[in-house]
Amino acid sequence: MNEPSKFNWTGWLVFGLFLLLWECGSRASPKLQLYIPPVSQIVVALSHLIVSGQVTTHLLTTMRRFLEGYLLAAAIAVTVGVALGYFRFAHSLTEMLIEFLRPMPSVAIIPVAILLLGIGDGMIVAVTVYASTWPILVNTIDGVRHIERTLIDTGRTFGLARRRILWQIVLPAASPYIVTGLRVSLSIALILVTTAEMIAGNKGLGFFILDEERSLQSSNMYAGIILVAALGYVLNRLFVVLQEKAMKWRRGMVAREGL
Amino acid sequence: MGGETTVAIGNISCQVDAGEFVSFVGPSGCGKTTLLMSIAGLIAPTAGKILVKGRAVNGPPPNLVLVFQEFNKSLFAWRSVLGNVLFGLDARGKKVRESEGKAKALIELVGLKGFESHYPWELSGGMQQRVAIARALAYEPEVLLMDEPFGSLDALTRLELEDTLLRLWEELATTILFITHDIEEAIYLSDRIWVLSRRPSEIIEELWIDFPRPRHQVTTRAEGRFMEIRNQIYKQISNENTA
Repeated sequence: MNEPSKFNWTGWLVFGLFLLLWECGSRASPKLQLYIPPVSQIVVALSHLIVSGQVTTHLLTTMRRFLEGYLLAAAIAVTVGVALGYFRFAHSLTEMLIEFLRPMPSVAIIPVAILLLGIGDGMIVAVTVYASTWPILVNTIDGVRHIERTLIDTGRTFGLARRRILWQIVLPAASPYIVTGLRVSLSIALILVTTAEMIAGNKGLGFFILDEERSLQSSNMYAGIILVAALGYVLNRLFVVLQEKAMKWRRGMVAREGL
Repeated sequence: MGGETTVAIGNISCQVDAGEFVSFVGPSGCGKTTLLMSIAGLIAPTAGKILVKGRAVNGPPPNLVLVFQEFNKSLFAWRSVLGNVLFGLDARGKKVRESEGKAKALIELVGLKGFESHYPWELSGGMQQRVAIARALAYEPEVLLMDEPFGSLDALTRLELEDTLLRLWEELATTILFITHDIEEAIYLSDRIWVLSRRPSEIIEELWIDFPRPRHQVTTRAEGRFMEIRNQIYKQISNENTA
């Protein structure tokens, strides 16, 4: 078992050594410095970018696209997933289609999206929705199918209509699975936003990173990469905090079952 | 799904009066659960008719609720004890404001005062079944169906819960239809016992149990007639098993 409260000294030490090696290696070779600038230079570039507000619109654009795509995907996938998990017939109708589309690397859909939707905002959000739908959908279907028959019968014997059984029993009972899907999709959504921005458009962190690379501003490019990484980290932490709150009932149960 | 169909229930014709405590006992796998699920309107019988308060059962009747044997699968893991009991009141259409006090009173009645904010997994099996009973009573059913509710509990917990159940039954004047494979439990609890045959199950015996109430785990069970009845039912069931 890991103890999250304990500070990982050795882990940070290794990380520090890695940065030090980077700094020294880069300074030792001027040729290398062109592509891999010293860490200190990247930090300086990053603070310049933040202070001058040069990256603010890019960051906000990426965040907005991410949120739109991710939330839309969550709404669609949970709704469809509950329906497909609940009605066996609907699931057997769509199973092959889902199994065909799901394993395909979602970035492969970007050219199709550009053909259909152009290179605007809509395209980027659409591919994000597409990619982040699958993990949520598949997990929701799984979660609903795994619900104990007794649980549904409990709802029925208490005279609940189907709608209320869905809301009050099926959704919460499947929620651990749904949350797993949501967590996987969080990273996927960010990957798709960034990738799509690199391919099309003139805004967003993905665009910024590629643009700086093309202008040979490698320090700025790395600064952009760090910003995307930080965004991913913050979103992930935020998710964990919300999950701990919403799934409080589950934590102790799982811990006990794990004994 | 294919496979063979099994006739679980044969010719059963019986009637339970309001306020009665009636038990079905029978060999395991005799279709007791099928019978109770049919009465609860959770499965539709292929033939025959079930009436609850004169109305044909066609889907779960509004004035009846079933307590399952598998309380751990029936309780809502995401709701606290209070939340689970509130569910019963909510399902009955009670307003949230008046519900909480009533739910707390019920929790106290089943002996779980102080555990309102616990989650089901934090409780022992006996306590979980108490929550399930409180939740069922919160629905204010006129008929309570119980499918071997104490079947997976240890012997001592079982005795405790039997007494709790009798106390609640006397206090709330509900009709209880109880299934068990424990003959002595049936005798201890019931006004009337129906002994079922193997499947397709039919009623092979009807017994009126007239031990005075309130009953007592020691004195009631110590009566000579208690053992007589027990042996009589036991012989009938074991004949069924060897027949």
